[in-house]
Amino acid sequence: MRELVRDAALLLATMLLLGTASNLVPGRRLAWWGKGHEPPAAGKDYQLVDAGSADSMRISLPGVVFLDDRSAGEFAAGHVPGAEPISYTDLARQLTPDRLARLRSADAVILYGASEETDIEQLLAQELRRRGLAPPYVLAGGFAAWAGAGLPLERREGP
Amino acid sequence: MSLLRARWLDWLLGLGLGGVFLYAAWGKVLDPRPLVTIIWGYRILPAGPINLMAIYMPWLELLVGVCLVTGFKRRAAALWATALLMVFEVALGVNALRGVNVACGCFSANAEETHNAWLLVLRDLPMLAAAVVLLVFPPERRR
Repeated sequence: MRELVRDAALLLATMLLLGTASNLVPGRRLAWWGKGHEPPAAGKDYQLVDAGSADSMRISLPGVVFLDDRSAGEFAAGHVPGAEPISYTDLARQLTPDRLARLRSADAVILYGASEETDIEQLLAQELRRRGLAPPYVLAGGFAAWAGAGLPLERREGP
Repeated sequence: MSLLRARWLDWLLGLGLGGVFLYAAWGKVLDPRPLVTIIWGYRILPAGPINLMAIYMPWLELLVGVCLVTGFKRRAAALWATALLMVFEVALGVNALRGVNVACGCFSANAEETHNAWLLVLRDLPMLAAAVVLLVFPPERRR
């Protein structure tokens, strides 16, 4: 019993060491106490938009950018016309100053994932907000809602 | 009872459960930030400690997985696996009772997967049983 408690404490200490060390690595760091990473809030960090309205924006506004955060395979199989792929876990590399400047000057930025769960898109919107964009739109229902509504698709590789 | 203490069963459960924990931990260890939103989605913890949980829990899952698979400190790993799985069961159960199908964050920090919470509770039960067997019935040491 004593050995079990000692070993369990050893694992706990190792966890504390690894967790602390890993949270000092830039790019994946979290505030130690939950303040610096507030959950994204509708209205402040993002706005939800339905597929039909998103398509209307695409047609009527000249500078609407769609960002697709699904996998490369899903993107290649079909995406919103003109959409650009983006990955939430690789933002530091993907959001170059040029790209950020272009996104800041867009009429609207619309984020979409695969389906109705939009947690990652909300986080992505929050990251973009922190980089100076107006609150991006998040497509409610994701690509499934877009394709399900029979809206136009594109099948070429992204830029 | 002797079956439960069989050396081959200890390895079989260790490899199986450890593999699940390694698979579950990997994505969260690489980037724990989406996990914050997932833990927040359970609506159980206040904002403060959510980040601490997102920082440390993936590493505990990883350590438990490594120890269960390799056999190093396997019983202690089984103790932590039991504790983690009980916490998951309570968190999922609370949300199931509330009628909320949470994005569980079980196998990734990607919040895409949302399921019926009761199914998630049931899915964790065999893993909990395996962890308890590893914890309570360690193989007898050779003399």
